[in-house]
Amino acid sequence: MSNIDLVRMGIKNLWRRKLRTFLTVLGVMIGTSSIVVMLSLGFGLSESFTEQISQWGSLTTINVYKRWQDPSMPKQKESKLDETAVLAFKAIPNVEAVSPTLETYGTIKTGRYVANVPIKGIVPEAMEAFGFEVQEGRLLNDNDELTILFGGGMSNNFYDPKSRVWREPKIDLMKDRFTFTFDQDMGYNYGGGMGNEKPNYKEYKIKVAGVLTEGNWETNYGVYMPLREVQKLMVEKAKAEDPKSRPSKETEYEQINVKVNDMKNVQAVQDAIKDLGHEAYSLNDQLESMKKTAGTIQMVLGGIGAVSLIVAAIGITNTMVMSIYERTKEIGVMKVIGASIKDIKRLFLLESTMIGIIGGVFGVALSYILSFFVNKFSGVFGDFLGTGGESKISIIPIWLIFAATAFSALIGILSGYFPAKRAMNLSALEAIRTE
Amino acid sequence: MDDLIVLKNLRKIYKMGDEKIVALDDINLNIGKEEFLCLLGTSGSGKSTLLNMMAGLEKPTRGEIIVNKLHLERMNEKDLTNYRQRYIGFVFQSYNLISTLSALENVSLGLIFKGIPKSKREKMAKTMLINVGLGNRLHHKPSEMSGGQQQRVSIARAFVGDPSIVFADEPTGNLDTKTTFEIMNLITSMAKESNQTLIIVTHDTEISVYANRIVYMRDGNIEKIVANEKAEGEVV
Repeated sequence: MSNIDLVRMGIKNLWRRKLRTFLTVLGVMIGTSSIVVMLSLGFGLSESFTEQISQWGSLTTINVYKRWQDPSMPKQKESKLDETAVLAFKAIPNVEAVSPTLETYGTIKTGRYVANVPIKGIVPEAMEAFGFEVQEGRLLNDNDELTILFGGGMSNNFYDPKSRVWREPKIDLMKDRFTFTFDQDMGYNYGGGMGNEKPNYKEYKIKVAGVLTEGNWETNYGVYMPLREVQKLMVEKAKAEDPKSRPSKETEYEQINVKVNDMKNVQAVQDAIKDLGHEAYSLNDQLESMKKTAGTIQMVLGGIGAVSLIVAAIGITNTMVMSIYERTKEIGVMKVIGASIKDIKRLFLLESTMIGIIGGVFGVALSYILSFFVNKFSGVFGDFLGTGGESKISIIPIWLIFAATAFSALIGILSGYFPAKRAMNLSALEAIRTE
Repeated sequence: MDDLIVLKNLRKIYKMGDEKIVALDDINLNIGKEEFLCLLGTSGSGKSTLLNMMAGLEKPTRGEIIVNKLHLERMNEKDLTNYRQRYIGFVFQSYNLISTLSALENVSLGLIFKGIPKSKREKMAKTMLINVGLGNRLHHKPSEMSGGQQQRVSIARAFVGDPSIVFADEPTGNLDTKTTFEIMNLITSMAKESNQTLIIVTHDTEISVYANRIVYMRDGNIEKIVANEKAEGEVV
């Protein structure tokens, strides 16, 4: 019996009992869509966790710190964040860029406005790799001297110290002239402190290279400068505070940032860095645990959804068994006029599989509709649940569509197996005699 | 004359609870090619059981069934399916047409299992239905046809695959006298035309006169075999 005839016959048989086929298909549809929608909620949850965390900073950046030396464990490797460490990090596979950072605090002034800001030193050529983007101007380059890059949210950090109420400062970050000093009190007139002699900080004229796009909380409220320049400034700061101080020959960094090419490699790189004896953190740590939570919730939801698919599977079996009772005589006749038991088995399996596939396809379509409505009203729910309005509550990945359809087809095959076996084993003679 | 079917010491016992019923006792029979044989007997004589065994629908308790040198008693279900597809056609008393299929579809059903493509099998089925005089009933469902017409469809179904042997189990049992003769004339002429062996089971002596040989059966044994010289031609 050729496949095309088999399919033709199967469709005909299903079509013969339209209502029953429809109801069985409906069962599978509801079963499939309940699983898909439940799982999609899990994916949505996981996605919104990722989104939340990515607001805190880049997910592919690892921050490396010096490890605290435990005196009780003297054999620990010494953790030294110097050029050697930078080179070692660069050698780790999947590392895209490495940038040591230094951070110091100071005041930036323009006109009557001032801002107290962290000044972050960064290696200019690594900026692009670390995902810095400008909304105006350009990124830093190696030749920049006393040149800064403003964080995306910086314009709101300026204030007028003489004003009692905060007003939005009228500043053009690109065009106005800015000066920088380590003097945190600049702008305030304390008029000679409490006998403390104030260090005589220099005031620097600074150039602005550009303004970063408004991104995450990490970059919004900082000012970036080439690392070399920050080092220079810090030396001068130390001199101003204590003229006798000598800058140490070897530069050690407070922190080294390592950029990994893909999120899935972050864990491995992080482990490698820890093996070198340093302390390493990434947002991946939080993300992992949150994703685990999301996964558990998803499993529970999927399990609830699966119950209805099991019920649907029983429905298919029931339909097929009923169908065999009705068609007993027909099966007998087919056997006598030359149908092999294999043909009979294939026919019944095909019918149940078709119920599964049709139910699966329409079930997926139904889940899209449900998912659409869930997301449409997610603004209301999202705020309520605290997942934020940005991300969708229900996400159906493409692979899930195929997986769900394949799974419902499999359910069809499994539920048809027992009835098909029954049909196969019917005695042709007895089958013919039934009325 | 070559023997197409050879039955040796054939025995069949049914178990009904604790009771054993001997359906066939000890049957020895040779049936030649292109022969028209009639198994005649009352109900319970074992004639239907014998027919079913030759069609490969039942297994003997003991003995041999050799058709065209093939031992049916040794075949598994798959081989029996092949045997049925290649060698036999079957006409039932109660027609056994599939009620949801049209006459054309019923006739071509057997060809589907043989794997014959759609256009070819529909052509074959159509030719066969025209041969049995139902050229204007191709797309009628069984419920829209008379008993005689339904049996014609059933005959068309049995003959469409050009089998070597056609079995008919009380083919006229449900029909009136006039239709009985029509059907018998049809079935015999068709078998003769394509040189097929025809084996009919009946309790009706009027039908047996069509046959070359009449096998009288009683209580699972062959009582007597009568050759019928005048059987040739149609009975009016």
